[in-house]
Amino acid sequence: MVAAPLLIAAPLAAAFAVPLLRLVAGRVVRFVPPLALLANLVLGCTLIPQALREPIVVSIGGWRPPFCINLVAGPVGVLLAVLIALVGFLVSVYAVAYIRKEPSDRYHMLFLLLLTGATGTVLTGDIFNLFVFFEILCIASYVLTAYDRDRAGTEAGFKYLVQGTVGSTLILIAIALVYGLFGTLNMADIAGRISTVDSPALFVAAALFVAGFGVEAAIFPLNAWLPDAHSSAPSSISAILSGIAIKAGVYAIARTTYTLFNAPGLFGLLAVVGVLTLVVGEVSAYRQREDVKRMLAYSSIGHIGLIVFAFGLATSAGLFGAFFQVVSHALAKALLFLAVGYMIVKAGSKRLSSLAGLGRDMPVMGVAFAVAVFSLIGLPPFAGFMSKLSIVYAAVATERGVMIALVAIVLAATVV
Amino acid sequence: MDALNHVMYYVGASALLLVGFYMVLVKTNLIKIMLGISFLDTGTHVLLVAIGYVRGRTAPILSESLRRSVEVGVAKVVDPVPQALVLTAIVIGVGVLALGLSIVVQVYRHYGTLDSRAVRGLKW
Repeated sequence: MVAAPLLIAAPLAAAFAVPLLRLVAGRVVRFVPPLALLANLVLGCTLIPQALREPIVVSIGGWRPPFCINLVAGPVGVLLAVLIALVGFLVSVYAVAYIRKEPSDRYHMLFLLLLTGATGTVLTGDIFNLFVFFEILCIASYVLTAYDRDRAGTEAGFKYLVQGTVGSTLILIAIALVYGLFGTLNMADIAGRISTVDSPALFVAAALFVAGFGVEAAIFPLNAWLPDAHSSAPSSISAILSGIAIKAGVYAIARTTYTLFNAPGLFGLLAVVGVLTLVVGEVSAYRQREDVKRMLAYSSIGHIGLIVFAFGLATSAGLFGAFFQVVSHALAKALLFLAVGYMIVKAGSKRLSSLAGLGRDMPVMGVAFAVAVFSLIGLPPFAGFMSKLSIVYAAVATERGVMIALVAIVLAATVV
Repeated sequence: MDALNHVMYYVGASALLLVGFYMVLVKTNLIKIMLGISFLDTGTHVLLVAIGYVRGRTAPILSESLRRSVEVGVAKVVDPVPQALVLTAIVIGVGVLALGLSIVVQVYRHYGTLDSRAVRGLKW
């Protein structure tokens, strides 16, 4: 019963141990994040069998639900926590050598806090806790975007901070409305009582949740910050932002809409918004001729659109496809950003043309890059193909004309 | 007048939120945008406290007079949960505000201006 809170407590404690450790051990702090995340990975894997049998519910503070703050480690939550630990571990190993500028303790501390926030977001069972962990994630990522303190980074960080904070305000207003309607903050409790309330305020709250978490998830009209932030941040941070942070936003949207709100109209809207996001993201990625990281950032927007579309199908096959796509995109895009980051260091420029022919000098990087790209565009032996196929299959299985038309647009756009 | 009394806190909260949204959307000075975010925070806090407020009751602090009887004491105080939420939200808001202003300082060092129209090193 102690293990599930440890998933959150371990990186949090490690984060605050980093600056203290630097005083006594100096540069050794570089190795704290990989160790902490490896511990999380092992811990998460040992929890999987138990979570698959039944959700692990941990009450904190000695009160019984719904009065306590509780953690719910369901199958999806634990699997995503393992995914976060895995991607975080790989990126932190990369960062041991990538972050050269000393002192690097701030980087490692914020990196661990970011992953603490992401893990907490997927494991919480309390709507206000969701907000708090989400804020930890957001604030850490604002700082890390501006970590290099260069011209582009600070500008991108400021844009990200303003838009993200307005989004967080919308979430808090939505929480206030939900608390006013139900008098509780426990998600399971609200879901149980959702049919007793039929008020316009419920739909306002649902819309505010989607808009607020949608800023972090970068769904279409709210995605202006993402290309700037992902292309200006250090490459290891771009990998974690694209691989984990925006997925946490999508997960929060799914969690609030599925657990809290039984409103059918909402899912049709999500499907349409998802397809719009996908088309805008992929077309913008195609138009990028100069900055390779900017192109990858737009491609992330496109994939977020695909995931939101799959959630919007509101079937179990659609959910399966969405989570499969979350996993395959997190791994592929993190690998891609890490490979590109290394290439940028070698080539000395982010311009696409300067990367030409690098595969010959760096064959290992070239293979890693190719594998990631093939998985993203969905070539058969890679995970990206299976996840895309399962989304298309789920959309066709709904047997609704609108969904089949939308999936045709999806296929046309992802070919680009 | 009595009707206004009932909704006064909601009117105040919405007014603060509207001022905040207006400042974030319209102002071009980066510091004024941060002030707008501060207004947004305050408006949300007032809204949260207003939702937990019960007319004629007192603050949810355990004092000697309340402690004499649990039943009477609970009936005398307002809902404490939103107030706890507001405390957390205030801390988060202060952190974000401090971080935002420090980033504004960095932007000023690079661009030499606080006008958001001039800060466009990155294409949209």
